[in-house]
Parts: sequence; C-alpha cells; structure tokens
Amino acid sequence: MSQYPSSRITRLIVRYALLLILVVIAGFPIYWMLNTALADPETLYTKDGQSSWLQLDRLPEFFNSLSTVPVFMWLRNSTFIAAGTTVLSLLLGILAGYALSRFRFRGKGVVSTLMYTTQVIPEALILVPLYGLFVSLGLINSLWGLVIANAGFALPVAAFIVKSAVDSVPYEIEEAAMVDNTPRFTVLTMIVCPLILPSLAAAAVITFFAAWNEYLFAATFLLDSGQWPASVGLASFIGQYDTPLPAVMGAAVVFSIPAIVFFLLVQRKIVSGLTAGAVKG
Amino acid sequence: MSETTNLLVSRHLKNPNKTSLTPYIFILLPIAYLTLVMFWPLLQEIVISFKDTKLMEPNGGEFVGFENYRRLLANNELSSSVWITILYTATTVVSSLVLGVISALALDIPFRGRTVARSVMLFGYAVPSVAAILVWSWMFNDRSGVLNSIADGLGMTSQKWLTSPELALWSVTMVTVWQVTPLVMLVVLAALQSVPSEVKEAAQIDGADGLNVLRSVTIPHIRPSITLVGLLVTVWTIRRFEVVYLLTGGGPSKSTNILVVGLRQTAFENYHLGEAAVFGVIGLILAIILVTASELLKKMRDL
Repeated sequence: MSQYPSSRITRLIVRYALLLILVVIAGFPIYWMLNTALADPETLYTKDGQSSWLQLDRLPEFFNSLSTVPVFMWLRNSTFIAAGTTVLSLLLGILAGYALSRFRFRGKGVVSTLMYTTQVIPEALILVPLYGLFVSLGLINSLWGLVIANAGFALPVAAFIVKSAVDSVPYEIEEAAMVDNTPRFTVLTMIVCPLILPSLAAAAVITFFAAWNEYLFAATFLLDSGQWPASVGLASFIGQYDTPLPAVMGAAVVFSIPAIVFFLLVQRKIVSGLTAGAVKG
Repeated sequence: MSETTNLLVSRHLKNPNKTSLTPYIFILLPIAYLTLVMFWPLLQEIVISFKDTKLMEPNGGEFVGFENYRRLLANNELSSSVWITILYTATTVVSSLVLGVISALALDIPFRGRTVARSVMLFGYAVPSVAAILVWSWMFNDRSGVLNSIADGLGMTSQKWLTSPELALWSVTMVTVWQVTPLVMLVVLAALQSVPSEVKEAAQIDGADGLNVLRSVTIPHIRPSITLVGLLVTVWTIRRFEVVYLLTGGGPSKSTNILVVGLRQTAFENYHLGEAAVFGVIGLILAIILVTASELLKKMRDL
C-alpha cells in the first residue's frame, strides 16, 4: 500500500470530509433542539435573534421553564405505558421464544409465520377495530389499554430475540436439570432465563422504548390530556407557538435523554434483535 | 452458526413421547394474546372495509359490498394515496440504503473519535420520533426556521418546506431518511466486521485498488445484509405514521396523503370507518406485495 502514498492521502481526506458531513447532518437536529431549549423566547422570532451557539449561561432559565409544560406528568404516564408493555411482552415473549427454540411441534411453522406477519401490519390498520374493542371494554382513556395495544407489536420482537438467545444455550444444561424431573417451566425460569439475561435486557430496552416513543395509539385512545404520555403531549405543541418554544424543546430534551442513553448502550444488540425477527425460522 | 445449533437441538429433541402437550402450553398464551389484539382486529378491519360503519357506532354498520372501494376510486383519492405511499417508500428506502452503506464504510476503519462519530450518527434512530419531528418542524418553519436561515446565508432562496405541495413530500422524506439511515448503518457495520481481511489483503496483493476491493469483495459480502435491512426499512416506511401526520397532516392539498395518514383522517375526522378501512386494506396488500416481491427477487438471484 505504501506504493501509492498520494492516493492514500487523498482517500483519507475524502473519508474524513465525508464523515464530517455525515456527522453534521445526523447531529444537527439534536444540536438545534438543545440550542432552542437554551434560547431566549423573546428574541427567537426576531431577525438575527437566534444564536448559532449554545447559550449555556441560560441553563437556570432552562430548568425554570420546564415547569411551564406538564412534562413530568407526561413522563410519568410514558413510564407507566412503557414499563407495562415491557413486562407483558417479555413474559409472553419468553414463553413463545422458548417454545420456538426448544420444541418441535405440529403447527410450529404456522406460529412463527404468524409472529413474522405481525411485523408487516401497519399500526393504523388495527386502529379502528382496537378502538371499537376498547370502547366495549371501557379501555378508552386508560393507560392499561395502551399497554395492551403496544404489547401486541412488542411481543413477537421479544419472542424472536429470546428464541435466538435460547438457540445458543447448550441443550445439555437443561437435560441435566430435567434428569430429576424438574418441570419444564422451572427449567426455563431458573436455568435458561439467567443464562440469556443480556438478551433479555436488550429485549427490554427495545420494547420499553418502542412504547415510550409510541404516538398513534396514544393519540387515538387517550382523549383526556391528564393521561397523555410525553409523545402526545409534545405533539400537541407542533406548529403551535403560543407556549414558549424553548420550554417545549426543553421538555423534548428531557424526553429524549433516556432513549439516547439506553440505545447507545445496547446498540450492538439492537441489530441482532431487530434482524432476528426478519429471518424466518 | 444458528444452522448448526438448530441441527444439534433438533437431534436432541427427537422426543420419544411425540404427542407431548408441553409445547402447546407454552405457546397458548402468546398466540391467544396476538389473536385478540392483532389478528382478530385485522380480520375485523377487512370486514369493516365492506360496511358503512361510522365512528359514533364503531361496532355497527351494514354491509355495502364494494361501495367504499368504488367511491374512493371514483374521486382518485385512493389511487393518488397509493402512488404517494410508493414514492415516499421508494425514495426513503433507496436514500437510506445509499447513505447508510456510505456511513458504515466511512466508520469501518479505526480512527480517533470513531465512537463519538458513530454515536452521533445514531441520533436519528435513538431520539423519540415525536421529539425529532418537533425540532424538524421548527427547523422547517417558513419565517424563523434555521433551514431558511442557512439557505439565506448560502445565497439561496427561502423555501416553503412543508407548505408547498411540490416540496412537502421531499421534506417529510428527508426526516424519515434521517430517522432510518442509522439502522441501515448499524446492520451494514455489523456485516462489514465479518468481511474476512485475508480476502481483502489477497485482492490488494493482486493489484486491486480500493474501489475494486470494495466492488468485488466487500459489497458482495454485505449484500445479504443490505437486502435484509432494505426489507425492514420498506415495511417500516409503509407503517410509519407520525412523521407525515404531525408535519403536514397529509397536506398541503393532499400532496403527502400516505395511506396510513389517509386512514386516520378518514376515520377520526370524516368519521367514516368503512372508507378508512379501505386505506388500511390497500396498505396491507401493498406491504405484502413488496415483501413477497423482494423475497422472490432474492430467490431469483440465488438461482
């Protein structure tokens, strides 16, 4: 390679220039979110009133302005929906994933095809029937309704992640336990689950934040603004400039931080988790 | 790897007592749950598309045959919505695949600050969709938005990003691409790490330059991953609702009226659940056609 030093240097320059452009495009909206959150609402709409740099000296105003938007109530609702979805879809997903990995049974192909099919169903498509169902069950305006709706989409994802994790656990470990007639369910909870804990954690992060971010069901089923999660609450400010924009952006920052932190932590697992669902088997 | 484990597992599982109920006990609850909240509603939606159900009575309505389909086709709304959905999906998939592969290739070689660069490039995927849409809608603002300030600074004319029927679809596509490209990048990056370096070195010793190595070694190796993630992005784009709904609401003059937004608007603003269901059924058919077509293409290439 040292035969072509000049072409190597050109390639390096091109690579770094490209990286710089990509990083700027990817990062700019988030920078602008922070920038607006720290901006002075008085000058935001005036000509040349916007600063290009973060006004970090306005941090105290930033924290004060958070109280003008009911962000903490929204986040409490978001947390309830997301935690409920995670628990429900993980419980059911562990059962399904384990069965798909360890058993051969009649109808297994149908079961995994059904699970795969759920991933191409647009949420909007079941919106109306679910609305009808929730009206009959009294689940309109209930956070539990959101848990139930979201877990339907999250369950198969959790099941696929669990299946591929169990696939890589040696079966001998379970056989050893079953010699003394330990029930299958106990083997799953006491032996297999602890072994696949990292994958369970990844599945939990993915399902938690899918529900944390969910908008369509929440905006349709929750009519009472006291029940709104942050996604619906923030969306109510889009294109509406009565509330000071820095306060709204501040709420968006608070809403985004947990998602960014957890996704960066489990980014490698996300790939295997999401693609596991796309590979039939 | 999974092939071999599967073989191992299935050899172990030749269970002497073949009519065991255990698997069904495990699978019963998850399948019952999915039937209740996904498949039963799905079936109902197809049925509703043949009824004149209204929002006030979501569980009522009379059968009207193909009336809803006929009415929507007659005023072109449905066919233009299908066309907009295809355009939106195709543009998003192609752009995010190109940008995602370029991003992954640029990140594949170690350099100082690589972790930071990769983390920043993941933001579009990690940030909650509604938070991202909120800041994009502010950036797109005609009067005070930063995109027009940048355009001014570069001596270009200001644009009506979301309020011009010619531009709105491209603006919402841009946001969607920004959101899904990181996923493509992650998948391709994982695939790149499995390209055997010996093969690359051998090609270089044989005199292949960088572009040739890329074309004849790297790209063929990561092609299955690109196909897979392309499929995922396709399905996700057809399903994606909030970007278009919150940025343009399907407008201006229905220029961004993708199927899922048309469905929500028809159901909850025109109160006509039967017509809304038609949008959904067509969307499902579109998703199935696209997924089947890409599976077929994959099979044809493997032959």
